[in-house]
Formats: sequence, C-alpha cells, structure tokens
Amino acid sequence: MLRSIVAVLNHKKVVPLVFLIPFLTIFVLFKVYPVILAVIMSFQNFQGITSQEWVGLTNYENVFELVRFNQALANTTIYTIGTLLILIPLPLILAVLLDSGRVVQSTVFRTLIFLPALTSLVVAGTVFRLILAEDGFLNLFLSSTFGIQPQRWLEISNLSLPSLILVATWRWTGINILYFNSGLVNIPRELYEAAVIDGANAFQMFWRITLPLLRPTTLFVIVLSIIGGFQVFVEPFILYTGGGGPGDGGLTMALLIYRTAFTSFNFGTAAAMGVILAGIILVFSLIQFRFFGTFGREE
Amino acid sequence: MAEHASDTLLLRAKRRPNTRVRVNKILLTLFFVVLTIGFIFPLYWMVISSLRPDGRIFVDAFDLFPSALSIDSYRTLFEEEPFGRWIINSVVQTGGFAITALFLCTTGGYALAKFKFRGRNLLFILILVSQMIPFHLLIVSLFLMIIQLGLVENYFGAIIPIAASPIGIFFVRQYMLSIDDEMLNAARVDGANEYQIFFSVVLPNARPAIATLFILFSLEYWNNLLWPLIVFRQAENMPLAVGITRLINQYQQSYDLVMAGSTLATLPIIVLFLFLRRQVMEGLAATGTGMK
Repeated sequence: MLRSIVAVLNHKKVVPLVFLIPFLTIFVLFKVYPVILAVIMSFQNFQGITSQEWVGLTNYENVFELVRFNQALANTTIYTIGTLLILIPLPLILAVLLDSGRVVQSTVFRTLIFLPALTSLVVAGTVFRLILAEDGFLNLFLSSTFGIQPQRWLEISNLSLPSLILVATWRWTGINILYFNSGLVNIPRELYEAAVIDGANAFQMFWRITLPLLRPTTLFVIVLSIIGGFQVFVEPFILYTGGGGPGDGGLTMALLIYRTAFTSFNFGTAAAMGVILAGIILVFSLIQFRFFGTFGREE
Repeated sequence: MAEHASDTLLLRAKRRPNTRVRVNKILLTLFFVVLTIGFIFPLYWMVISSLRPDGRIFVDAFDLFPSALSIDSYRTLFEEEPFGRWIINSVVQTGGFAITALFLCTTGGYALAKFKFRGRNLLFILILVSQMIPFHLLIVSLFLMIIQLGLVENYFGAIIPIAASPIGIFFVRQYMLSIDDEMLNAARVDGANEYQIFFSVVLPNARPAIATLFILFSLEYWNNLLWPLIVFRQAENMPLAVGITRLINQYQQSYDLVMAGSTLATLPIIVLFLFLRRQVMEGLAATGTGMK
C-alpha cells in the first residue's frame, strides 16, 4: 500500500503536480479568484457585507462623476510624471558618475545613498512629517541658508505633490542608481577603449555609448516608476494621517480606493476604482512586455 | 561589484597624470559627500529627534548635535503602548511570511524550471500577468474572503493571502534553470525518489537564491503596511508598521514618540543590511522591484 503511494507520487506526470500544488492553491485562491471577485463586485451595490445587488455600470458612472476621483486621478498622474522627471535623470547621472572611476570610494556612496530604500514607507512618511512640519527642519534650513520664506508644506494643497515627490526622491534614488549600475556593468569596456583611441571626450562617450546602451535599463526603470507611481499609497496615507491632505491635494487613487472601501464601506465603488487603476497599470505593463518580454531583464 | 568600463578613464588619468583630473576627482568626491549627507540626514534626524526631551523637537531643531538627550519617548513606547508586543508580532509574522513564501516559491519554481507538463506556459504567463495587478484591486475581495474564512486578526490571515509571490517564483525558476540536469539524473539512477532529490540535491544547490529571497521576503513583510493594516485592528496583534500608524493617529503632536518607534523599526534592518549588503543589493537589482 505505502509502496504504491510512493510509486504514484514518483510517477513522471504526478511529480510536477505535487511540487506545484502549494503555490498554485494559494495563487488561485488569493490572487486569481479575488481578481474575478473584484470585477464582479464592481458591477454590484453592497448593503453591508453580505447583501448585494447587480447594478450594471452604475458604479463606473458614479466613479467618473466623483470630483474626488478625478482629482485623485489627476494627482496620481502628476505625481507619477513628477517622479519620472526626477527619478530617471538624477539616478542615471549619479550612477554614471559613481561608475566613472573619478569618485573615491564609490561603493560607500552607493551603499549610503541606498539606505533610505531599507526604511519602510511608513517610516519615510513619519520622518518627512517631522521634516516638512511648519517649524520643521526643511523650513529652518531653507530660510537660514537661502532666505526662503517658511512654507506650510503639509497644509497647503499646492505643496502636497511636491512634498510627496520629495519623499519619493529620498526613498528611491538609491535603488534606481542600483538598477542603472547593473546596466552599466554590462556595457563592454572595449567600446570605451576604442572611443578613447578615437579621441572621444567623456561627454561624447556618455552620449554616444553609455546612454544608447543603457536604453533597455532606462526603459525598464521608467516602466517600473510608472507602475509604482500609480500605486502610491503609504506616503500620503502617513503624511496626511489617512486623509487626502489639504483640499485633497495629496489624494491618490490608491488612497481613495482604500478610503472608499474601509472608511465609507462602499465596496462596489472601491472595486470599480480598483478595476480602473488596474486598467491603467496594465496598459503600462503591456508596454513593458512589448519592449522587454517577461520581467524586463531576463538574460 | 567590479570596476569596469570606465577604468579606461582611470588608465588615461594614469598615463597623463595631470592635476585637472585630480582636482576633478576631489571635487566630484566632495559633491558626493555632500549629497550623501543629504540622503542620510533624515535618518539621523529621526534618531536624534527621538532622543530630544519632550517638547524640544521644534524649539531646538537647529541644534544638530543636542547634548540633552532623553529616552523618555522609548520608555513611553514600552510602558504605555504595546510596543514590545509589536516587535514580537513583526518578528514572528515576518519569519512566518518569509518561510511560507519561500516554501511556495521553491517548490513551484522547481516544477516550472525542471519539468514539462501541460499548461506550463499558460501558468507561467498567468503568474507574470498577476504581477501587474495592483494590490488595491484585491483589497476588498480579500477582506471579504478573510472575514468568511475567519482569518481577521489572525497571523495566517496576514501571511497566507500574500505569500504566493510571482517575483519570488520567477526568481527561483530562473536560478534553478541553471542546475545541471545530469546531477538530478545521476541521483535518480542512484535510486533516490523525486522528493529526496528535491531536498538533498536541488535545495542545497539553490542555497544562494534561497538566502537572497529569504532576506528580500523578510524586508518586504517587515516594511509592508497595506495588508496587515486591513487584517489587524486590535493593537495587540499589529506588526510594527501598523503600530506606528496607530501612534501617529493617537499622538499627533508627540513626534518624539513616533520617531522613537520609527527608529526601532529601522535600525535593526540597517544593522542587518550592513552584514548582508551585497546580497540585498544584488538581489534587489536581480528581481527588479516589487519588493517594497
């Protein structure tokens, strides 16, 4: 009996199944099924947790009529563009400089600039709550060094997105340097040697060799930043104590979904918003797929 | 990481040792010193603010190296808030998550890497696509599911639903592709069954990947907020990240307390990182993001 069980388990066709079952079970139950459920819920209206009725596209119509949703969509888009404008060129240039052999102890700098990436986003949020406070360090520093008037970073709607982008810059620069660095490592050094012989200067080498050959990495980091940017949640959640900030200036889509679900308990609407967010992210992910296949940097 | 490509620049500098290059080098290094101080400063500020006596956080803000330090905020954390409990919760949940996710990803990744079966490609694509789905799409349905399963306020409820990591299984699969089939076949010829092979040949050979993933999974759960925030409402069950958001809500103005909590949540990670630097940085570069 026992022997026949072992024989079955050892059968060529059964073995992969046995190895797959743990992952597959959890994956289907908690990833595939909830997605289907969420799409269904986006067409339903909930009264309480258990009773629901089919309402067709009503949730989607309501969502797009919501002032807050449109604001969240705009905020999230601007935030994403803002982070792209900083978090691509800055880390790229820093990575190239650190890699140029003209910086003493470049690994130490790379490591230290990476440290913020180890903090949880919660901690990044709490620290910047303190630094951005009206009588916090940033204002003190700006006014004493540059004579800039103290700003109410966390209390003025127009300053919400710049504040969030500042946090993002602090948290992600080091890790993007890491990505660019691993791209730089793969550029054959012969190219530079040949360029030197041809009399190219450092700038020409950057423009003609480094930048073009770094293109796959750059696109990869851009897509990651877009996907991450559209999902931004924890930073505003902490900076604005769970709300959307002054005048909803820091309200992002993910934050609105969370609040719609767990503050207003509007499950159907939250699901519809989730589907819309997923749609946006899917479009950008497909671009990634199109450009790099699978995960971006499959060797 | 090897110095490489632009070693040529160095060579050039050596060939023509001119002062301009040396000055550039000093200036550039100085630039990075200043920049790095800027990046490290918020962490320093967090630690130093947590040690300032109550009410002095803003008054003394320009005192960069205060001499009057106090550990009152830490005392309050442990005496008036269940902070010790949160640390234990974080450690236990993080360990549980890393081990669970590792088990799922090594077994699943092995099947994907070393066996041919019907639907393999479809499954592979499905796993990759799932990586693109924002977690916010799932929060409502997952929340209703764990209510039905009775997993609210439960460690398993916090761990299991997020344990099937697409990036994790992908990473393991990639690594296991490089394990030599000859070695597995030799073990088969020696009469080992498939499960003995997995535990005594495959896993030992995948040790570097497993170690890296264990670190990355731990970092991921330790720093995760969203899902534990939904699962846990009772203070005594929360992990650190959720506990700190609770502190913010409760003590809006007591920044020292929040900074003390943030410091205790961060310092252990940084200390561990200094030992595992290479693994963490190379692992993160290899898996792309997804580990937040």
